[in-house]
Amino acid sequence: MTDPSNPVMAELVHVDRALAHRILGGDEEAFRELFDRFFPRLYRFARARLPGDPDAAKDIVQQTFCQAIERLDTYRGEAALYTWFCQICRNAVADYYRRSGGSQGRVELLEDQPNARSILESLAAPAADEPETGVLREQVHRIVEATLDALPGNYGTALEWKYIDGLSVREIAVRLDIGAKAAESLLTRAREAFREAIAGMI
Amino acid sequence: MQSESDIVESLIRSAGRRVEPPEDAYGHVFTVAHEAFRKKTSKHRERMWILWAGAAAVLVFAIALMARWTPPVAQQEELARIARVAGEVEIATGDIWRPLAEARARLTPGIKIRTQADGRVALTLAGGESLRLAGGTEVMLDAPGRLYVPGGTIYVDSGARPSGSHLEVVTAVATARDVGTQFEVAVTGAALRLRVREGLVALDHGGESFRGQAGEQIAIDGKGGISRASIAPHDTAWQWAEAIAPMPDMDGKPAADLISWVARETGRKLAYESPLVEQRATAVILHGDIRNLSPMAALEAMLATTDLAVELNGDTMEIRARSNAPTGP
Repeated sequence: MTDPSNPVMAELVHVDRALAHRILGGDEEAFRELFDRFFPRLYRFARARLPGDPDAAKDIVQQTFCQAIERLDTYRGEAALYTWFCQICRNAVADYYRRSGGSQGRVELLEDQPNARSILESLAAPAADEPETGVLREQVHRIVEATLDALPGNYGTALEWKYIDGLSVREIAVRLDIGAKAAESLLTRAREAFREAIAGMI
Repeated sequence: MQSESDIVESLIRSAGRRVEPPEDAYGHVFTVAHEAFRKKTSKHRERMWILWAGAAAVLVFAIALMARWTPPVAQQEELARIARVAGEVEIATGDIWRPLAEARARLTPGIKIRTQADGRVALTLAGGESLRLAGGTEVMLDAPGRLYVPGGTIYVDSGARPSGSHLEVVTAVATARDVGTQFEVAVTGAALRLRVREGLVALDHGGESFRGQAGEQIAIDGKGGISRASIAPHDTAWQWAEAIAPMPDMDGKPAADLISWVARETGRKLAYESPLVEQRATAVILHGDIRNLSPMAALEAMLATTDLAVELNGDTMEIRARSNAPTGP
């Protein structure tokens, strides 16, 4: 559910409701915007739950889009639109496992494990060579990916530009077509949202 | 112990860049999801229309009762006329497709036309534009000045249209708006190709607007990448549109009219060998039926009965006097 006291979430839901309204009105640009924003995220969401089966991940995402669009007039802004899509995707994955013979092979997610926070902290430290750490690192990659995907607006992309591509605040400002101060402020909010999202996840 | 900010930075760095989905998955899922979007929005529009129509009907009934007046049956605006057909072409008002020859339908808003692989059709839109569909193309006439292309290749010639109106070609990938021109739009899944033969076309894609000029080709690939290339107005790539061009009635008209029309249809500059030859072309009056020929074949057939001849030199179509023929009017 949306936390009305969180202005970022309230703004996000407002924007998402407007987007859903435009799509229902037949706005091609709005549909394209939604697809471009959600497709890579949902693909990663499904792929993480269906490891080693990219075709199944594609089918699940396709099914998710079709079901979500069919039910779009029932979206009331109780959560961010991406969260709403994820719930439909999660159900589609559960159906997939049911059809393919129970929960055998289902992925155990890091957020379901005890002491997840200490694992994350230890993995944020310099890399270790132990094989177990390699497996956990893969899971951390997935959980960071999922967290970045769940952030509103350009937050995930801005954090990647900053920490992976090493762009300066000024360069990020140019890419986003905003001022340097606004970019600095966006990065601060993005870091805060990431920290909150990952804390909420574990 | 690291600070919260350090943990954010270290986690993102250690996790690395997010994985991008494969390109073919994007295109495939987009096509299916877009079809779901089309179906959903047409159902939504239908429902809204029924609600509005219901409300409007009640209002009209009430007014009619008050005024003791019976309203006439509303006629939907005709958006286009069929100008020329070749091969297999079908038409649908809902989801039931019928051969065009049997349909005798009025081309009103919401009507869909599709061509099979061997089919071609030319329409004259209400605004005067010529719209031509290549084989394997589907088009929906949405509203005056707007059409939707789910897939295939179309050609638009808006030369004959009154100034001030603009045609919008809506696709899942981008929207093309003409600014007095001849152009082609081809849509395949999530990819689009725009070719501008004459004039200027505005292309809206992903919140950005691009301009395509005469002789330019703009391609948007399935991932939204944009590339530009050149295409000459007389390139053989335009021949499919020339072949289905609706022939104007030339019976009793000067040969010069046909010559100008063919030059434009084939994307070539027009040159007369001399002012005398040009005068001759204006003086010669054409007779006969050339409706089912391509522009160049029609011109050659007509000029064969005169003392004029046509010659193609690169991007120019030259009209010359036949050897040993008098060139005076």
